[in-house]
Amino acid sequence: MSKFRDRAEREIGPRVIVAASTVTAPARAAAAARRAAGRSGRLELYFGFDDPASAFAVIDLARRLEGRKVIFDLFPVVVRGIKDDPALERKRIYGVTDGRRLARRIGLTLSRSEPIEPQQTAFLAGWVAGAPRGAALTRFCVAACSRLWFESDGPIDEGRYEELWRECFGSAPVADEAAVRANEKQMTRRGPYETPAASIGGRWFFAQDRSAQIADWLDELGWTVK
Amino acid sequence: MAAARVDYFYSFRSPYSYLSAPRGFALADDFEIDLHFRGVLPMMMRGESVPVAKRLHTMRDVKREADRLGMPFGRIHDPLGDGATRCLAVSEYAIDQGREREFVLAAGLGIWGEATDPASDEGLRRICEAAGLDWEACKAALSDPQIAARVEANTNELVEIGHWGVPVFLFEGEQFWGQDRIDDLALVLSDAGLARR
Repeated sequence: MSKFRDRAEREIGPRVIVAASTVTAPARAAAAARRAAGRSGRLELYFGFDDPASAFAVIDLARRLEGRKVIFDLFPVVVRGIKDDPALERKRIYGVTDGRRLARRIGLTLSRSEPIEPQQTAFLAGWVAGAPRGAALTRFCVAACSRLWFESDGPIDEGRYEELWRECFGSAPVADEAAVRANEKQMTRRGPYETPAASIGGRWFFAQDRSAQIADWLDELGWTVK
Repeated sequence: MAAARVDYFYSFRSPYSYLSAPRGFALADDFEIDLHFRGVLPMMMRGESVPVAKRLHTMRDVKREADRLGMPFGRIHDPLGDGATRCLAVSEYAIDQGREREFVLAAGLGIWGEATDPASDEGLRRICEAAGLDWEACKAALSDPQIAARVEANTNELVEIGHWGVPVFLFEGEQFWGQDRIDDLALVLSDAGLARR
């Protein structure tokens, strides 16, 4: 490898990436333009119902967005993660231990001691992916994540979640597998490789670990609590 | 009675390890613990892949976290390869001298905040001297097979405990992965009655 290429890879490239990440003017201008047009801000969250960190993020972010004129745009996925990740199974097991710590931060207690298989909650992703965005959908996702991870253990009874859906929407859920696949493709195309991942004003965040950063960034964009 | 043991697995190529170091080492100030620094080879030198998307996100995320923590970050020299292995060798020597904290902090600052190349003698010497270590002794450590074996043992142990990334803290069999789990470890140490009075 040439000396220049080596330096470009080790120093110049990382430095440019870091410097570019500090440019905020375009995002702030875009947010101001949205407000001037009477539109809301938008926080996109890619999450998995089988993932305790995602459950934490859904509940925590829903609370943090209260009072802000920001749409909580929820994108459930089933298949995600680093391709052929040899640590996938270990990460799922560790996720439960870690979920217990995250829960403690928001005053909850994890009720499960074993991971959930992604396919066990795929029906929830199918319902949510095809449903219209809005307060009812957020309410359902918060309630479903709470029930899954903080109020129940053992097998997942689809019927109980259908009841919950009816309470929120007044009608039966409709599965939309194609919408889930579209979410997964969109997530991969846009960069995040793991859930929960939040995007606001062009920035990605690990949604379970960066609550304070997310709140600061929303404030900086002008989407403050009113 | 012996103090409780906390193992601290760390990679010089991991910017999250860098972010963890000031608070990681400070645990030993705040709690009655023996903190064992365990330098390990970078993921990419352990045969694990790191996708481009992950690398890009890591740089951006670490910059934001570094700003929040008041740590310099951005003038980088990626130490993958010789730079990382040389830092690992010196860190083992620094442990023998009781100066691993000083060395790890100096190396992290050099690599992630000052674009110092630890693969060069000039760069590594600057780091060693900033940590109060004798350069000639550090140079000797670079070719010491016993020191290399210690690094290999650390790396193998990270795999044996079933973990894949760094930084990892290990306390009584429980793993805490990530610089953002130090507060959680501190809570557990407090619950165990290990806070210094």
